[in-house]
Amino acid sequence: MWSWEYTLEILPEILAALKITISATFVAFAVALVVGLILTLARRSAFKPLSLFAHGFVEFVRNTPLLVQLYFIFYVLPEHGLSLSPFVAGVVGLGLHYSTYLSEVYRGGIESIPPGQWEAAKALNFSPIDTWRKIILPQSIPPVIPVLGNYLITMFKETPVLSAITLVEIMQTAKMLGSHSFRYLEAFTIVGVMFLILSYSSSLMVRRLEVRLNLR
Amino acid sequence: MSVPLKLIYHEEPTRSIDNDPRKAVIKPIVTYSNISKSYGDLHVLKNIDLNIAPGEKVALIGPSGSGKTTLARLLMTLEEPTSGTIEVDGEMLWHQRVKDKLVKANEKHLHQVRGNIGMVFQHFNLFPHMTILRNVMEAPRNVLGLSKEEAKQRAVTMLEQVGLAGKIDAYPAQLSGGQKQRVAIARALVMRPKVMLFDEPTSALDPELVGEVLEVIKAIAAEGEMAMLLITHEMEFARDVADRVLFFDQGRIIEQGPPKKIFNNPESERLQTFLSRFNRH
Ligand SMILES: Nc1ncnc2c1ncn2[C@@H]1O[C@H](COP(=O)(O)OP(=O)(O)O)[C@@H](O)[C@H]1O
Ligand SMILES: [Mg+2]
Repeated sequence: MWSWEYTLEILPEILAALKITISATFVAFAVALVVGLILTLARRSAFKPLSLFAHGFVEFVRNTPLLVQLYFIFYVLPEHGLSLSPFVAGVVGLGLHYSTYLSEVYRGGIESIPPGQWEAAKALNFSPIDTWRKIILPQSIPPVIPVLGNYLITMFKETPVLSAITLVEIMQTAKMLGSHSFRYLEAFTIVGVMFLILSYSSSLMVRRLEVRLNLR
Repeated sequence: MSVPLKLIYHEEPTRSIDNDPRKAVIKPIVTYSNISKSYGDLHVLKNIDLNIAPGEKVALIGPSGSGKTTLARLLMTLEEPTSGTIEVDGEMLWHQRVKDKLVKANEKHLHQVRGNIGMVFQHFNLFPHMTILRNVMEAPRNVLGLSKEEAKQRAVTMLEQVGLAGKIDAYPAQLSGGQKQRVAIARALVMRPKVMLFDEPTSALDPELVGEVLEVIKAIAAEGEMAMLLITHEMEFARDVADRVLFFDQGRIIEQGPPKKIFNNPESERLQTFLSRFNRH
């Protein structure tokens, strides 16, 4: 049966682990934002080896499970001299995985820019870098911010998979609490409720943002 | 509508290289040599030869689909010619010479030659995320490398000349079509090109807004120094502004000459037919 007493007892520990979950989410998201953009630009590059590599990377990452990628980074790389902490391995793995999805999002934003913008930039003799920095990206990113926000939420909900590489995030904490006390109900319920509250409230925020962007 | 215009380009009467007795001594600012452009089986431009003198105002008229826009886009480096060469101010545009061999120009070369050319588009193509001021000052700042103050000052002066000094903090979406096109003209002019291309600058405008844009272009033309290629369906405007009128049809220059001759004594049947469509209304 549900025990409130036990719930209150384990709550502080789970909340502390929530901090890890949230920081892993944001750091991985930052990785995904940056790498995703680089992938998008690399895929458009006229330099064939670069665009082929980026294409290949995207296909590879998308067609293998995140869990396998995490295991690879955390367990296989150390054999080749690259040892990463669970946190670093986790945010790198999660970040790289989602970078391929964010790359698609950026691509959509960029492709929605009318050709006339590129042509005006060229007619004014902007360098390719300035064209991206001043003309194309400032127009293609704002409209996709809500979609990026939804990916942030998706990544947040994906973080429990990081427990597989021993990161003591909220899920791992709940598992450990459960196996100590042989009570799983409270711990996992708390975890579920926390995900629900945070994801739902964030998705409401994203939706409001979307409405505001559409009104502009 | 009258637009206050301070003249920055002055002196030197305009002239047409093909009519000028000093033809041999005037170096053209633009030379198309045997230029062809195809899209697959569609031959849009067929062996075009054309010289434009410095400061010359050339109007390009002709039915839609005849290749006028393509001719301008080749010069703006928005399209690559299928064959032939273009020279700008004595330099190859799409090619460069490497050890006596003509090879395709690299981006650095294109960048350097392209700086001589400016273009005003039918649909303005303003940057919607920037204020009017930034639309005009961003290129001087980033491309010419002017300081922020210099770029701003140049931009404001230019916007004054097109009568839009009061709108510098507005965004393009807040302007009328005529105002947008005047901003686009200022944005191109602020780079001080030697050749300006206007591709039907008033075709996308409501009729009552056409006048203000043509006024601005006429005033710029009157300043003289800059060569202009004007693609237009405004025949009266072409007659007023141009030193020379080219009639284009099916990718060829069918007839050319001073406006008087082209509009009053068209020789070819195609030009006569084309012009009769305009005289009707
Ligand atoms: N990118 C392109 N691909 C295929 N056909 C094109 C392209 N651009 C222009 N054309 C064709 O070239 C012809 C000439 O076009 P254009 O130069 O725009 O003529 P104009 O400006 O005189 O109306 C048209 O038949 C047009 O459909
Ligand atoms: Mg056209």
